[in-house]
Amino acid sequence: MTSKIISPFNRVEGDLDVEVKFKENKVVDAKIVSRLFRGLELILRGKSPLDSLVITPRVCGICGASHLYASASALDMMFNAEVPRNAIRLRNVMSMAESCQNDLRHTYFMFLIDVVNKKYQEYINFEEVLKRFSPITGSSYKECFRWSKKYTEVYAVFGGQWPHGSAIIPGGVTSYPLPNEVQKAISILIDIRKNYLENVVLGGPVEQFLNTVKSYKDLLQWVEDYKDGDLSRIVEFGLEANWHKLGHGTGIMLSYGHLPFEEYVGSPSRKYFKPGIFFVKEKEYREFDQNNILEFVTTSYYTYSKGDEIGLHPFEGETNPNILDNSKKYSLTKCFRYKMDGNLLAPEVGALAMLTVSSNPLILDIIDKIGPNVLSRVIARLVRVIIYNELMINELKDYEFGKPTYKKPTEVNEGKGFGLVEAPRGSLGHWIVVKNGKIFNYQMVTPTQINMGPEDPKGNKSHLSLALIGTEVSDINNPIEVYHIVRSHDPCMVCNVHMLKLI
Amino acid sequence: MKKVLWLQGGACGGNTLSFLNAENPDVLEFFSMYDAKLLWHPSLSLESGEKVKELLKDIISGKINLDIFIFEGTVVLGPNGSGRFNMFAGRPMKDWVREIANVSNYVVAVGDCASFGGIPASDPNPTESTGLQFHKKEKGGFLGKNFKTRKGLPVINISGCPAHPEWIITTLSLILNDKLSEDDLDEYQRLKIIYGTTTQFGCPRNLYFAYKVALKEFGHREGCLYFELGCSGSYTRSPCNVTLWNSQSSKTRVGTPCFGCTEFDFPTFNFFSTEKNRSGIPKKLPLGVSRGAYTTLSAIARGAAPNFLVKPLYTKKDEKVDWLD
Repeated sequence: MTSKIISPFNRVEGDLDVEVKFKENKVVDAKIVSRLFRGLELILRGKSPLDSLVITPRVCGICGASHLYASASALDMMFNAEVPRNAIRLRNVMSMAESCQNDLRHTYFMFLIDVVNKKYQEYINFEEVLKRFSPITGSSYKECFRWSKKYTEVYAVFGGQWPHGSAIIPGGVTSYPLPNEVQKAISILIDIRKNYLENVVLGGPVEQFLNTVKSYKDLLQWVEDYKDGDLSRIVEFGLEANWHKLGHGTGIMLSYGHLPFEEYVGSPSRKYFKPGIFFVKEKEYREFDQNNILEFVTTSYYTYSKGDEIGLHPFEGETNPNILDNSKKYSLTKCFRYKMDGNLLAPEVGALAMLTVSSNPLILDIIDKIGPNVLSRVIARLVRVIIYNELMINELKDYEFGKPTYKKPTEVNEGKGFGLVEAPRGSLGHWIVVKNGKIFNYQMVTPTQINMGPEDPKGNKSHLSLALIGTEVSDINNPIEVYHIVRSHDPCMVCNVHMLKLI
Repeated sequence: MKKVLWLQGGACGGNTLSFLNAENPDVLEFFSMYDAKLLWHPSLSLESGEKVKELLKDIISGKINLDIFIFEGTVVLGPNGSGRFNMFAGRPMKDWVREIANVSNYVVAVGDCASFGGIPASDPNPTESTGLQFHKKEKGGFLGKNFKTRKGLPVINISGCPAHPEWIITTLSLILNDKLSEDDLDEYQRLKIIYGTTTQFGCPRNLYFAYKVALKEFGHREGCLYFELGCSGSYTRSPCNVTLWNSQSSKTRVGTPCFGCTEFDFPTFNFFSTEKNRSGIPKKLPLGVSRGAYTTLSAIARGAAPNFLVKPLYTKKDEKVDWLD
């Protein structure tokens, strides 16, 4: 047995180490370890509830608006705030703009540049992918550099600045955009569609892609018809490199749902992308209820006041780091589980899970034909960019100047609330408990934590470890397959607010 | 060719993402314009694992001459001074930072965390975080108040949460041309040409500030956010309303208060409301203004406010205007 610690495991947000054990060339065990702890939940204790709108976006430099959206939603619920439709549109646009920026930068800067790996030198498509996807010099790498930041401009029109704006607040948004500003944002999105998404990413018309590519077979047809698009090149290369056979994982897809489309009081009832759980093997959809979320610390460097074997819902969540020499504990990531029918589920989250759960026909069929894997995750991320770009344009076209973007809520001194969104990396939840006008408990459960947590009390592993175990690598000294599987999840270690392993 | 290394400590990566938004020049153009090479960056470089350790060791041994060491995030000292809350390439990041800083021509702290400790270093500072050469207001930080680089300069701070890409590019370009001297820096070791003015310079709400017309709730273009809604723009030094963000806007332009994120004391908390003393005057006054002068000026200014400023610019249907004062 050979053990390999890849440290630093770069091109993820934050510091990550990956420990894999090989038997010959097969992965037999895997541990995902973050090397960074920042303690932001502890800093929030005793502060004013609204301060979470400034502190929590700074959990993460690449998905701060998701934290902001979750935080404002939790406060909406606590204040029973009335959120006007205009505000929901602008919140949605900010969230989607950030997500598109993330999905493109992750795909091109962090994932695709691994195609220059020496393993691929003999591949038919090697020359072509090198020309496009090489770091710094690749043609599509440069295009991504130029266009991904355009989405941050769209964000800034309504959110002031990206990263780390705080324009989403309970009751709406702080901004009150004029028609000329809305028009500017729409025009940037149309520019992106025409000159980037169609020219570079898809190689063909966005409208045709969204209207006609509804199955895996349709996608393969698109690859034939529009060979020049990056998506086609990625699919072709991915199939040659067997990315569709790498990193299956747990087969349980979870999404909290995303983007409300009607005004609400307290919390949204309906969203463009519905929440739920989808079991890939059984092809079965189940409703989602946040009451069933539990966090365990059996293998984490925490203690719970009522004993370490129990699971706690985030409202009762405790963050008591306790670094004892305990052979069972090896991580400061808590272990996320979803309780259903007496079982503890360890789901996968991310763009693939979100689009599967919300019944996107193309993604559902891809899951059906080739399953969750490295290739389907990369495809889902790009497809989401295409969908979001058009949805942003529609939301902005429906913006009604003259109607309010904010309704001042009546603040309360005691209460609790939760906010659930789909961040770029998957399901993100914030839970807040307020007493005497101050934050009593603030718990953030991040998508990277759901994908990459340690074992639960029964010894069951979380999704990414399962996705790695059983993988056969072609060269143990160049385990590129391991890199692909980890990076296909777009891991974000800075998001792991309570994650740490000591060595 | 000049060589640049970028590492992250207790960081969210926000300054890296902000840097990627640079325009004219963008990041790729910038490095080619100045014939500089980014030796390694945690989220952008190809290399992982052993190759990175080799590179860092070559820098420390002097085999590779490092021109600029850029550090993002806090230096994490916890738990109990061990630095093990932030391990990197097999050892505490703090140990890498000290050894690399000692062999660099210039050391640059990008963002509020690296400059002053920022959010992680705020009470109760659970990770024992600090800035490179400041801990909040106190000079010293991780490297000590007497630290100088091989070029004889202290750490150069580019504060802000995050720093604006143009501030980063401007600071780096002066360094790469060897045109930056200690005289160009303010008391917090930041470029005076960037941090000389307050955030209020260029704010479209300035007229409301001048005539003391207060906005009392969010979601409006009218009124100043200083009097009721916690805006720090009149006493925070940054050019956020002159050099716009993402080529488009700024916090105060979209009705969000300035949170003072370029200053040593960020985060000050209670961000969305203005703390006042017993006579109803804001506890924090605009930079350089005395309490007496402020009181006198306020009374006159409010009385002189032009009529169009004390009512909404755009009328909304059936709206009761109780949000402008």
